[in-house]
Amino acid sequence: MITQLANWFRRKKLESGLDRELSYHLDRRIIDLERSGLPTEEARRQALLELGGVTQVQEEVRDIWLSRWLRDFVYDLRFSARSFFRSPSFTATTVLSLALGIGATTALYSLIDQIVLRTLPVDHPERLVLIDWIGFQNAETLGTENLMSYPICRDLQQQTQFFDGVFCRAATTMNFSTGGEPRLTAAELVSGTYFSVLGVNPAQGRLLTMDDDQAPGSSPVVVLSNDFWQNQFGGAQDIVGRKVLVNQHPMTVVGVAAPTFHGVDVGEVPSVWIPTVMSAQAIPGFKTMLDRRTRWVQILGRLKQNVSLAQAQTGLQPWFQAMLDEDTRRTNISRTSAENRRRFLASTLALTPAPQGHSVLRHDFSRPLWVLFVATAVLLALACLNVAGLFLARGSARHREISTKLALGASRGRIGRQLLTDSVLLAFAGGVLGVAMAPIAVRALIAFLPHDTAANDLHASVDIRLLLFAFFVSLVTGFLAGSVPALQAGRKSLDCSLRERGGTPSGGLALRRAIVTAQIAFTLILVIAAGLFVRTLHRLLAKGPGFETSSLVSFGIRPALNGYSDAEATQLIRRISEGLHSSGSTQASSIALVQLLLGGAWNNSLTIRAPTIQAGERYITDREVQMNAVTPGFFATLGARIVAGRDFNEHDALNVDAPHQSLPVSESGQRAVIVNQAFVKRYFGGRNPLGARVAMGARPDAKPDSEIVGVVENISYRNVREQWEQAYFPIGTKLSGSNFYVRFRGAPESAFRSIRAILRNVDPTLPITYFRTLDEQIDRSLNTERMLAALSSSFGTVALLLSLVGLYGVMSFVVTQRTREIGIRLALGALPWSAIWLVLRDALAMILSGIGVGLPFVWALGRLVESQLYDVKPSDPAVIAITILVLGSAALGAALIPAYRASGVNPTDALRVE
Amino acid sequence: MSSSKFPIPQGTLDMLILQILSLEPVHGYGIARRLDQVSRSVVQVNQGSLYPALHRLELKGWLRAEWKQSETGREAKFYSLTASGRKQLTAEKHTWARLADAVQLIFNEGTR
Repeated sequence: MITQLANWFRRKKLESGLDRELSYHLDRRIIDLERSGLPTEEARRQALLELGGVTQVQEEVRDIWLSRWLRDFVYDLRFSARSFFRSPSFTATTVLSLALGIGATTALYSLIDQIVLRTLPVDHPERLVLIDWIGFQNAETLGTENLMSYPICRDLQQQTQFFDGVFCRAATTMNFSTGGEPRLTAAELVSGTYFSVLGVNPAQGRLLTMDDDQAPGSSPVVVLSNDFWQNQFGGAQDIVGRKVLVNQHPMTVVGVAAPTFHGVDVGEVPSVWIPTVMSAQAIPGFKTMLDRRTRWVQILGRLKQNVSLAQAQTGLQPWFQAMLDEDTRRTNISRTSAENRRRFLASTLALTPAPQGHSVLRHDFSRPLWVLFVATAVLLALACLNVAGLFLARGSARHREISTKLALGASRGRIGRQLLTDSVLLAFAGGVLGVAMAPIAVRALIAFLPHDTAANDLHASVDIRLLLFAFFVSLVTGFLAGSVPALQAGRKSLDCSLRERGGTPSGGLALRRAIVTAQIAFTLILVIAAGLFVRTLHRLLAKGPGFETSSLVSFGIRPALNGYSDAEATQLIRRISEGLHSSGSTQASSIALVQLLLGGAWNNSLTIRAPTIQAGERYITDREVQMNAVTPGFFATLGARIVAGRDFNEHDALNVDAPHQSLPVSESGQRAVIVNQAFVKRYFGGRNPLGARVAMGARPDAKPDSEIVGVVENISYRNVREQWEQAYFPIGTKLSGSNFYVRFRGAPESAFRSIRAILRNVDPTLPITYFRTLDEQIDRSLNTERMLAALSSSFGTVALLLSLVGLYGVMSFVVTQRTREIGIRLALGALPWSAIWLVLRDALAMILSGIGVGLPFVWALGRLVESQLYDVKPSDPAVIAITILVLGSAALGAALIPAYRASGVNPTDALRVE
Repeated sequence: MSSSKFPIPQGTLDMLILQILSLEPVHGYGIARRLDQVSRSVVQVNQGSLYPALHRLELKGWLRAEWKQSETGREAKFYSLTASGRKQLTAEKHTWARLADAVQLIFNEGTR
């Protein structure tokens, strides 16, 4: 077989060899015959007869060299290619439709593979598990999700009967400098076991070990990522031992990780790894590393060789229960409410497989990506159908050629193979084009994903898996699209086709109608999906965050990263505020402790004491309340109305300590708190809450001594979708990190310039964590929705175009086929519009049945997308009605063109076609 | 030319070629002449199936071909047996002998 393929390339040489061989044979035979008395001509004739015909011999030998099917295949390819070049519009339409379908599928698969499917490049990733606390942890949270405390990590490291190793990690950003200007850098705090459990090797120097994980603050060492080392240090060979500054703390570089290792989170790649014992330095103000009631790390482990996940999970529960019991005996838990203690003791430990590591990006984007993948698959199916329809049309146009071939002795299988080669060749061309286009699409999709300081580990390149996937999809597409016309070709009887008069035969029309109906059904699904997603985005944007976003910019600073003490930071922030207030381009400015619209919130329960609730008894909120601390004038800056009571003033600010810890009792003045309308609705039934008192937390000894002094209208905190109860406290004197909200006047560029000038004036090296307008912030928070809306709209448009092309093709064909009939009708006195109606009726049947077929699928698939929608149900009648209207009218429009042609048929011409 | 001649099956043609070449390397025309001698006696060898057979055997690795000067002075393509070709010939001879014995046995039975 391989020899045969090789022979293909040697065939010229082989042919000339055979020619020489045969001519030698013939010459010798002729000479022999002449010697025996025959005349030359007679001798030559006899010799040729004996050999049986030179051409025959050559053909048989060729079959041996190249094997029959290879020769046939190559011939078919050439034949197909030639015929495709002769009908460029057909080729272009088909290749483009396929390229779109295959390209989109490949691009989306690439993204899904990288975000959802791909495992970490470490040893035996299938043995990695995520260890998580299910239940009430009664702990302060610092981070995103699946968090536990550091001491638990240390404890779990002792569980060697289940795990080969356990490590914990926390993602953070810090100010990093190598002697020059410090820059905000993504980092990961990791336990000493991190690199050994994952099985990562160093590219330079060494990696972190258990020795670097002993006493807090005892290991000022860092490990760099390979990319960071290449980009920032130029791959310097003397990197080991270099001194660097982490938030102004001196540390030493001890090594560089291997090039393929990018951490455990595909959405956030750290540039630097720091030991957990240095967490106080990496996260300024973080002093509770060893506190069992602060959760800030994710814990992952590698299961032992013969231990299953279920075994480990059940095996760990006794230890976990014992730990819970012991924890309740420690002082901080004992002060919590009975209900909370019950929930705490009911907690369990859960292990989930984590071969892909831990990623918030995956968590947020899995669902939307799969939804999009289904949409792409539908689009690909549409493209296939289009191609099948086009091929059927072409097949019926070629029926004469096929019939002739059949008459000359070709087998049906042979003809079928040729038609199949046609479609596979086109599908491959489409696949190649699609793969070429895919990286562009992937890059565009990646742009939709949110990113901050940490880059994500996604790239737009095409790797071998992707190529195989695209190859496979192209092959299947080609087969599917071409198989039907191929099967059809042989089925019609020979003399029936040859006997056909004049126009083209009716074979395949029923199938083409079915194809168009299916296309319309698919288009219905895609366009309705697009409508739903666009409506969701529109509703969210229209709802808005509840405050005025025009001319509002927000930026954040973290002075602690530059080594500022609390007092210095407060001074700094005061100076910035003063600068902003005196600047001509700022209308108003204020500060919030927690940034808005970031997807996260500071929440806690509140204890309320009010005469109107439970007759003045202490009442604990049944769910957590979102909280923030703000300066006076915050709501005015945002443009949110205070509907009752008043805003904070300077007195309130002075009476507060940093609200992160629970409020200690103090005699000086009263503390103030402002709640929002949702809070009033839920806990006060809409009655006046002014004067009631609250305390943070639900501990039995919490004294509600903060007075509700105002009610503000509802604004968005975590994201635009939510409406939640909120409580605002005044920012105290200790301002550790701050988010500024500034309403500016005039053009944005000049306003930004003056704000940055103010900041530079105060401290040129101050790290600014972000600087963007609120409109941008809202857009970022709506990334998923925007992606879904944009992509589904493009899919819907492409689907609509493909269907219209298909419908137009079929209707043209029908008109051509019924030319005679229409001609006769017109000759007999029918009005032109009746001819149009004749054609339109046909088209209408297809459109209506397509819609009828598609609607049940829309209903079924609605469940899939429900979670992504806002204020729109999947079966929203308005969206469905508008879609049907748009689809129907566009389709009728497409059918109108050939219908109009039908009405212009000249009866005599039509009759003359015979 | 005579009714006593019958067409030779393909497998037997292969065996005859291998046998002819087991003695010495021969070119295509030479093989055809030897086969002609065989034809004159018993079987009809279609000359047209000679060259396809030669190339098939070459593809299977039982024959080796090279261009040498022939007895007329012109260059011709000489075929010779390879080691595996020799093995194949021995095997085929065995099979042929056993087949002949079996057929003979049946004839003997018949005439008894």
